[in-house]
Amino acid sequence: MKKYFRCFVCNDIHYGLKPPEICPTCMVKNAYVEISSEEAIKIMRQNRISMNRDKFLKAIESFAEKNEFQVNPDQEKVNLLIEGIHNNEKNHGLKYCPCRMITKDFNEDLKLVCPCNFLIHETYKDKKEGECWCGLFVKKEVKG
Amino acid sequence: MSHLIMFHGKECPHCKVMMPVVDRLEKEKSISIERLEVWHNEKNADLMRSYKDIISPKCGGQLRTPTFLNLDTKEVICGETEYENLEKWASK
Repeated sequence: MKKYFRCFVCNDIHYGLKPPEICPTCMVKNAYVEISSEEAIKIMRQNRISMNRDKFLKAIESFAEKNEFQVNPDQEKVNLLIEGIHNNEKNHGLKYCPCRMITKDFNEDLKLVCPCNFLIHETYKDKKEGECWCGLFVKKEVKG
Repeated sequence: MSHLIMFHGKECPHCKVMMPVVDRLEKEKSISIERLEVWHNEKNADLMRSYKDIISPKCGGQLRTPTFLNLDTKEVICGETEYENLEKWASK
């Protein structure tokens, strides 16, 4: 069963079966201690890095660059979605997908944080023109 | 007449696409579909969550928008759909 771990040096949070030996943030060895999900949520909210819309768009474009998908070329759709993601972070704490609804189970709702694991979703997987549920990411066109 | 609900999100593009379809259906069939925004209205969000067991099996195991729920028949349509499908959903 996955658990939460906190680096006691830099407050980096890790969620998994076991913590990394070396903290990827501060590089200190054997620095992780197990904590409760409540404490992890509290720390993650305090440590949240504020990212404006432009920075977020650049981040997801960079994330998509080396993958088989891209940010949707439909600029109007992207603008609306980024507005929603931004509002959800402001009103609900994390960058939740604007086309789904949180259950209020924190761990379950982590699946809704953008970018989500849409590669396994029925709207993307095995589809020629697949996209994530909200349409922020679409499969790149296969040339030839 | 069935109690018809559309759960939608203000910044959800699929919901935006479906709004004129819902307008047309309401006008042509003289029916009313209750539109409940869920990301900016906690009461509506709680109501949507209360129907999770009915909605999620039709929506990839999640709560997604838009969701069309016919409260009388418990029929659910998740996501964008054609006018004809929505008409069938409403008239059952």
